[in-house]
Amino acid sequence: MKIGKLAITVLLVLVCIFILGLVAFVQGGISARGRPSALETVVARRLRKLGIPSSARNQKNPVQSTPEVLAEARHHFADHCATCHANDGSGNTTIGQNLYPPAPDMRLPETQNLSDGEIYYIIHNGVRLTGMPAWGVDEPDLDSWKLVIFIRHLPQLTRDEISDMEKFNPKSESERQEEKEEEDFLNGKPAAEGGHHH
Amino acid sequence: MKRLGLAILSVALITAAAFAHGNEKHVMGKVTKIGNSSISVQLADGSVKTVNVVGTTKFLKAGAAATQQDLKVGDRVVIHAKPNGDALEATEVKFGSTASAEKH
Repeated sequence: MKIGKLAITVLLVLVCIFILGLVAFVQGGISARGRPSALETVVARRLRKLGIPSSARNQKNPVQSTPEVLAEARHHFADHCATCHANDGSGNTTIGQNLYPPAPDMRLPETQNLSDGEIYYIIHNGVRLTGMPAWGVDEPDLDSWKLVIFIRHLPQLTRDEISDMEKFNPKSESERQEEKEEEDFLNGKPAAEGGHHH
Repeated sequence: MKRLGLAILSVALITAAAFAHGNEKHVMGKVTKIGNSSISVQLADGSVKTVNVVGTTKFLKAGAAATQQDLKVGDRVVIHAKPNGDALEATEVKFGSTASAEKH
């Protein structure tokens, strides 16, 4: 009889915990707002490390860094990556900062201390449950290896290089229209009433 | 086994990614005042909007990298800013005629 009461009590406690968990989940469990906790970040980074095979981690970059390769990778990054990661790799874009987890600042040691093979693996295969897609199609994926070279260069990126990249950033028709309105205004034409959002 | 446990815990902790809409505002007008950390702009409707300048604010004069010191009262300016509470924080400040820059 005592065992029966104990079992019912345990069951009730478990049901309460489940309901509380469900309420917390429904009230914002899948929201991308906020920032991952320190524990979440540590565990996720550890998991990412474990998820990259050691053979991939130790791969050497088959592409030599030259000014031409760096320029090609810079333009490729501006076209494909900067929407989330920003031209300077800071992750300071509307999409990048509102992802969960947010796009990392790739100029910092958390990224720069990864091996070339690890960075290549992440670009080529993506990272599950983040905003990072798998970009690679072919093997060998030389475009991704060239991006590794550019990511290594991010901490030394100059303002002129960033200005050059802006020509390669993808733009929608409305963004092009906005740019034209802004240019016209700077060149002396009257401004449209009020500002605009995007 | 330890790795599997860690993996399960991580998957439980990490939620799916989602995109969010931006709320960046564009302010176009003539500069009426330049403070240490703010720029006031008179808009087309005559009202004045003040935008804060922060460490990450980027300045572009005729499309080329510039600094806040290059900006003068009376300049036509386009400021991209994001709301921070009730204030606006400039991400990019563009000024200077791009047409004249292209002729050079």
